[in-house]
Amino acid sequence: MSEESLRAKSGRSARRRAWDRWMGRLLPFSFAIAILPILDMIYWIGARALPTLTWTTLTTDPTGLSGGLYGPLVGTLDILALSTAISTVLGVAGAAWVAEFAGPRWADVCRTGANLLAGVPSIVVGYFGYFALVLYFGWGPSLLSGSVTLAIFLVPYIFRATDLAISGIPRDLREAALGLGASRGQYLTRVGLPVALPRILNSILLAASIGIGETAPLLYTAFFNNYPPTGLTSKTGYLTGLIWNYYDEPAHFGTEVTLAFQAAFLLLLIVIGLNVLVRVVSRRYERRLRGLFA
Amino acid sequence: MNCPSRESPNPFPALPAEPARETRVEGQAVPFSRRIRRIPGTILGAIPLLLLGGIVLTLVLSSGGQDFGLSFFGVDWNPSTAEPQDAVFGILTYVAGSVVTALPALVFALLLSLALAITLVVYVPVRWGVLLASFVDLLAGIPSVVYGIWGFWIVAPFFGTTLVPLLSRGVPASWGVCQSPASSGVGIPLAVFVLTLMIIPLTTLLLRDALRAVPRPLVEAGYALGATRWEVLRRIQIPYIRRAIGSAVLLGFGRAVGETVAVFMVIGDATVLPRNLCGLAYTMPGALVGQLDSAFIQPNYLHALVEMALVLFAITLAVNLLGRRYFPSTPGRRGATPVPPVGRGGP
Repeated sequence: MSEESLRAKSGRSARRRAWDRWMGRLLPFSFAIAILPILDMIYWIGARALPTLTWTTLTTDPTGLSGGLYGPLVGTLDILALSTAISTVLGVAGAAWVAEFAGPRWADVCRTGANLLAGVPSIVVGYFGYFALVLYFGWGPSLLSGSVTLAIFLVPYIFRATDLAISGIPRDLREAALGLGASRGQYLTRVGLPVALPRILNSILLAASIGIGETAPLLYTAFFNNYPPTGLTSKTGYLTGLIWNYYDEPAHFGTEVTLAFQAAFLLLLIVIGLNVLVRVVSRRYERRLRGLFA
Repeated sequence: MNCPSRESPNPFPALPAEPARETRVEGQAVPFSRRIRRIPGTILGAIPLLLLGGIVLTLVLSSGGQDFGLSFFGVDWNPSTAEPQDAVFGILTYVAGSVVTALPALVFALLLSLALAITLVVYVPVRWGVLLASFVDLLAGIPSVVYGIWGFWIVAPFFGTTLVPLLSRGVPASWGVCQSPASSGVGIPLAVFVLTLMIIPLTTLLLRDALRAVPRPLVEAGYALGATRWEVLRRIQIPYIRRAIGSAVLLGFGRAVGETVAVFMVIGDATVLPRNLCGLAYTMPGALVGQLDSAFIQPNYLHALVEMALVLFAITLAVNLLGRRYFPSTPGRRGATPVPPVGRGGP
């Protein structure tokens, strides 16, 4: 039945429906308010970065006054690979245990712990990295300290997503496995984790996109380096750090502000790319699941 | 529309929660041998808790237990005196800077994200909703330094030459809100603007999930009585998610207060007590990230910073603990969209 035919003749009812229609037209404009700044950001960062962005920008090291992005780019990828690997191992193992084996009360405590860890400000994690890893453990400002600090920052995201993915598996599936005589460990490795895998992968991608944009946990743990890291103990550069170092240099001084914009542009590209990837993966996955369980 | 009446604020008490999922098959006491075998797993599950504990322990130990007395909560912050032991460390300036940026940003973000969540759940067709939701995700994924450099170079001139002077003219001087001539544009208004954008994803997704969790029968009952979408929203859905809104306020505040790099880049970083909403300021996380390198060789400076980190940590911990009580398992610091639950069927 159309809205028209339902509309009552009385003035009050007409007013109510008109109000509803207008809210339906006005509220979507909140999206314009939220999206416009982002479009502005993408446009202007592109406009500042693109004119001088060439292949050599990506293949030369920064020099302090000019140069390219090579060293920090490699450093970013190194830090990202290491920290994602560490946080995946810790997060998935912990969450799988919590989802399957922990008693309800202890599981609740563990989940709260993950939520709280996710709420810790990034600079506080950075302080932890500096005082515990760099100073106390004596790892020094290095790729290792930076990656571990970032990994600690990323653990809760992977943990929570894995936990949700495994506890969200339809109950029938679990009971069928247990009913066939599987132990809970067998259920987890043969059924639980494989079924949850796409979502876990998704959360790893999301964690990577969070990690690639973090600055504060790395500033005092990886410090910075214009050149690619030479080993676990060498100081390491990263794109966000390059922006942090160069963003407020006087514009006439050199090209480093432009370099910072180019790093920002690159980060935007990577983050948008990861977001699209996550969406594609999860859409394909949901479609497959619908076929499986519907 | 007469029903539900105004006298009872929430005529629809929460439906009883679904019984918790049984994770333990056997109900008897656990034998000792099995208990031992469980220890590694228990530790595994507690990794986040252990890390949290490690952070607290590290901070407490590195603070050297130095007691700054009441002056720690004072206004004066002067680390570089002729004699290092004369230095005063009062964090009030930074606390004020944090509050004065976080609260307005929270108000704006909440209003906007309420509108966004309502649009997503009630007013916009599913197909558009997916596209719009992915924009919110994008907002969440943008690195904070990128917000920072964008704010510093591109938005600041607009704020400095146009918006802030306009506000200063529009508001009577006696209100003390805004008295600022043309400036470079960095300062509290810009920080509030950037911060608003940065916490919108979190609050929007919290509110959206809460709205989606309103039991379908309640909503349908409203429509069946002839209420419009807006009326169902006003009288049923919004009252139902009041507690969730409270949570979103707390969690959003926690995020806003902890935001470090972007705010540092756009707020001007002047250790002055903010007198109105237009000047420069300096936030707690900003001071932590901006001053650690100057404190490396001055122990009491270092201790003061670490203790400020502890204060910040305590604030965010308290706020998150309170806020999470009503959102047991909603993921997303960055507002990462939780994949919809796989469970079958409706409520």
